[in-house]
Amino acid sequence: MSKVAIRCTGARVSYTVRSHRPLIRGALRGQRPEARVIEAVRGVTFDVAVGESVGVIGPNGSGKTSLLQATTGLLPLAGGQVLVRSTPAFLGVQAILRPHLTGWRNIQLGLLAQGLNTAEARDRTGEVAEFTGLDDFLDLRMETYSSGMRARLHFAVATALAPEILLIDEALAVGDREFRDKSTARLDEHRAAAGTVLLVSHNMAEIRRSCSRVIWLQEGLVVADGPTGDVLNAYEAS
Amino acid sequence: MEHTHTNPASDNTTDGLVPAGRPLPLGIYLQELWLRRDFMIRVPLEELRAQNAHTLLGGIWLILNPLLQVGVYFLVFGVIMPIDRGVDDYLMFLTIGVFVFFYSQRVISEAARSVVVNLGLIRTLRFPRATLPLSATVGQTMAFIPALTVMTAVVAAHGTWPHPRWLLIPVLLALQIAFSLGAGFLAARYNYTYRDLENLLPFVFRLAFYVSGVLYSVDHYIDSTLGRAVFLANPFYCFVTVWRWVLAGTPAAGEIWVATGVWSTVTLVVGFTLFRARETTFGGTR
Repeated sequence: MSKVAIRCTGARVSYTVRSHRPLIRGALRGQRPEARVIEAVRGVTFDVAVGESVGVIGPNGSGKTSLLQATTGLLPLAGGQVLVRSTPAFLGVQAILRPHLTGWRNIQLGLLAQGLNTAEARDRTGEVAEFTGLDDFLDLRMETYSSGMRARLHFAVATALAPEILLIDEALAVGDREFRDKSTARLDEHRAAAGTVLLVSHNMAEIRRSCSRVIWLQEGLVVADGPTGDVLNAYEAS
Repeated sequence: MEHTHTNPASDNTTDGLVPAGRPLPLGIYLQELWLRRDFMIRVPLEELRAQNAHTLLGGIWLILNPLLQVGVYFLVFGVIMPIDRGVDDYLMFLTIGVFVFFYSQRVISEAARSVVVNLGLIRTLRFPRATLPLSATVGQTMAFIPALTVMTAVVAAHGTWPHPRWLLIPVLLALQIAFSLGAGFLAARYNYTYRDLENLLPFVFRLAFYVSGVLYSVDHYIDSTLGRAVFLANPFYCFVTVWRWVLAGTPAAGEIWVATGVWSTVTLVVGFTLFRARETTFGGTR
């Protein structure tokens, strides 16, 4: 029996959305903005085993990102439970480390934040830099990067120390072909070393390449959960 | 490894699983923090360097900045309107007050921003979030060392040569770091939830600046016991007064030392605890 890395039991996530109010008049009258509760994840149950790579698919607004954020512990649950073997690393699409620092500095910063000392970080910087393939761009500040370049640097830093559990939210979609191949290879290595991956994507080819199993979400509920081929066929037919 | 699809009902291997987002046990948390000590030193060091990289005078600004501040206050309150504030040596009095006050102000303001500014880092990487306010504190403390040197030089230039009391400087510095860091933890935690705090802080500090005896001697104006007790409830006043005693021998009552010690310990413990209780939600969608 394989060990469980992530266990979701009836997980629910909801957001309270406040409507706009007239900025000054509203505040003066003591009007509270109207609150509306949106249920993004409405009771989701699944297990992910150690060393498994699971794709999460579904239309926009189906609760994929909320589910991932609940797994990192960033979002409090409205109900149910999410258990993890260790705190996951999270790769999101808008992620940017420190915009005003150069690529080099961001790599160093990321390695130090993960607990390396200065000497260790210096030793690993070259390897991470090479993986990004950004070359001279590493001398530029990160705010000048394109989304694809950010994703490269980000992915390289976050996977450099092989976190046990890696959550990826559309972060690879902006990369070009070369980066796609590199990141797929790294995810394979990661899995081979008993790393667990949860991958949100709208790119079915990417899911097919990297995942052995797929969870299909719709309106915050699991529609299907099973082998990649079966679920993708059903999803594409829907 | 084909389909390792597991069924929750039939599998009970939950050993070693913890609820997502549960804070680490204190011991492990502190260990993880200690692992990040290089982060806490290198990052602010580089930021200090970067801040002054495009100026002509570079690192000299670290000394020039507090000197100019003292210069402005001395010009206004010492030269233009030289009223009696119950102080013999106003320049020395002012220098210590201004430097000590601005140190805490800087630490708290920087710590308050540290979480909000580093959300990118927080969302992506796993590390104890207390690293960020700590890193801000280390940076401002490094920047304070030149100022502390200038402060000591001003005192020495006024004929107060090294005194055994000066051995207390490290102790007092440690107390002030503890207080400022603790307040920084609180500021960071609440500034994350209510960004409004960032707009409010400058005014809180402005008010504190005028009621902490930075510019005038509180003892000279306030006689009543109640009045003094009110001032003991102001940590900035405590620090300014104790620093003046240590460096220049300006009288300071014993209860001020007690108040200073209590302020430092309580603020650090409360600040750290409240920060840690909330830190796993930093970076989430609110």
